Amino acid sequence: MTSVALAFLALPVVAIFAQVPPGELVSALGSDAAKDALIVTAKTNLVSMILILAFGTPAAYWIATRNTRLRDVVVTVVELPLVLPPAVAGIGLLAAFGRLGLLGGTIEALGIDIAFTQTAVVLAVTFVASPFYVRTAVAAFESVDPALPAAARTLGAGPGRVFARVALPLAAGGLGAGAALAFARGVGEFGATIMFAGSLQGRTQTLSLAVYEQFDLDFDVALAISALLVLVSGAVLLSVKLLTRWRFASTSPIPFAPTTPTSG
Amino acid sequence: MRQARHRVLALGLALVVAALAATDAGARSTATPPLTIYAAASLTEVFKALDPVQNYSFAGSNALETQIRNGAPADIFASAAPLNTQRLFKVGMVDKPVTFTANRLALIVPKSNPAGIKSIYDLRSKPVKLVVAGPAVPVGGYTLTVLKKMGLSGVLSKVVSRESDVKAVTGKVALGQADAGFVYVTDARPVSDQVTVVKIPAWAQPRVRYEIAVVSKSPNKTAAQAWINALLSAKGQTALKNAGFLPVPKTST
Repeated sequence: MTSVALAFLALPVVAIFAQVPPGELVSALGSDAAKDALIVTAKTNLVSMILILAFGTPAAYWIATRNTRLRDVVVTVVELPLVLPPAVAGIGLLAAFGRLGLLGGTIEALGIDIAFTQTAVVLAVTFVASPFYVRTAVAAFESVDPALPAAARTLGAGPGRVFARVALPLAAGGLGAGAALAFARGVGEFGATIMFAGSLQGRTQTLSLAVYEQFDLDFDVALAISALLVLVSGAVLLSVKLLTRWRFASTSPIPFAPTTPTSG
Repeated sequence: MRQARHRVLALGLALVVAALAATDAGARSTATPPLTIYAAASLTEVFKALDPVQNYSFAGSNALETQIRNGAPADIFASAAPLNTQRLFKVGMVDKPVTFTANRLALIVPKSNPAGIKSIYDLRSKPVKLVVAGPAVPVGGYTLTVLKKMGLSGVLSKVVSRESDVKAVTGKVALGQADAGFVYVTDARPVSDQVTVVKIPAWAQPRVRYEIAVVSKSPNKTAAQAWINALLSAKGQTALKNAGFLPVPKTST
């Protein structure tokens, strides 16, 4: 039973590599479509990751340290993009940030036009990928032994110092794992991007959009990009495991110690 | 021992796939099984209105061609360009294709017309976010022909997205995301409350011919041929005409 399940999961992945000899995979990756897509993906995902870390980290810390009754509601809002169908995410982004959307007029008044730009790709990637980081980050901050920040406070550290010098280093492993997961999801983002940002080689066409376009233009290129994405995803998942191990090594010896209410 | 395990593994996987296939077949075994019709996205409204009981897959004809080439279980393939049907005919994957209708291209702009496009030539002078279909999609190829005939190939630098089928182009313009897009005149009709049509002169129109063929491996070839005959009959042709499609050009038989 186990081997059937394993084989089912592994076969499509193995098949990608079995269809084309490795030499041809590498040369197909040298095609303009693949190279352009790689650059667009790297650029947009880099910006997205900076945004996710900059906004997501304080947000996760806030959620983890306030025992507010709204916690479940807030966490649900954060998690929602995680389970939303990509098409729904695309429609939502259009309805909010599209030229005729809720904020469309405001954005236009500011003289910004995001339709079909890399900004649109960044918005789509950030929307679908950030929950992976924030969720893991909340768990990482919650697993920090509350005795340690409490001790820092009694020694006179302010809230900012407790966050930066105690909570952040102790949660670092978990934050890294969350960031890696968000990165993997962002690199693979497809549905929201094609609906919200369109697809133009060298501008908005990311690797997964290039797979879709090359599917009926040049199947070898589609396979090569797919193989690259498999390798990236595999590397990310492995690094998550390593980071998670480090996280548990770096937190308190009782990882599931009950959280005590922290004084604001 | 190892080999035996491999065989068990392959058998297990095959059984799972077979079970899934059986549920699929069960869902389909009604009195007269509906045909599976792969059709160009521009045929969406007219085919559904003409015969709502069949199973349709609408997409860019190029994507459908690739799917059929890879063994997709279609009974009929209706393409917006002869190229896609003829390529499959040459390798024996579809029976002889016939032309069943024709179409024209148009430029559509959102009702609000943010870029102020009144004629095709405005594409050249005004800043515009232009959306077209990819070059392998029939309507994308026809768009290139129109622009070349009008000496406007330069406006391709204003393209902000190459979409996978004509409905994706229509949607981007109807939503107001794009300033203009090239589609078939028939695609503008269902969204006529959201878009304005800018006409393309007759002399610049490409020859848009739609071909249809029975898929050679189809288990329902008789029913599929009957469906095509109905489409070619007066009733089918009237439905196409009412949706804005053109009759089959006399020159191509």
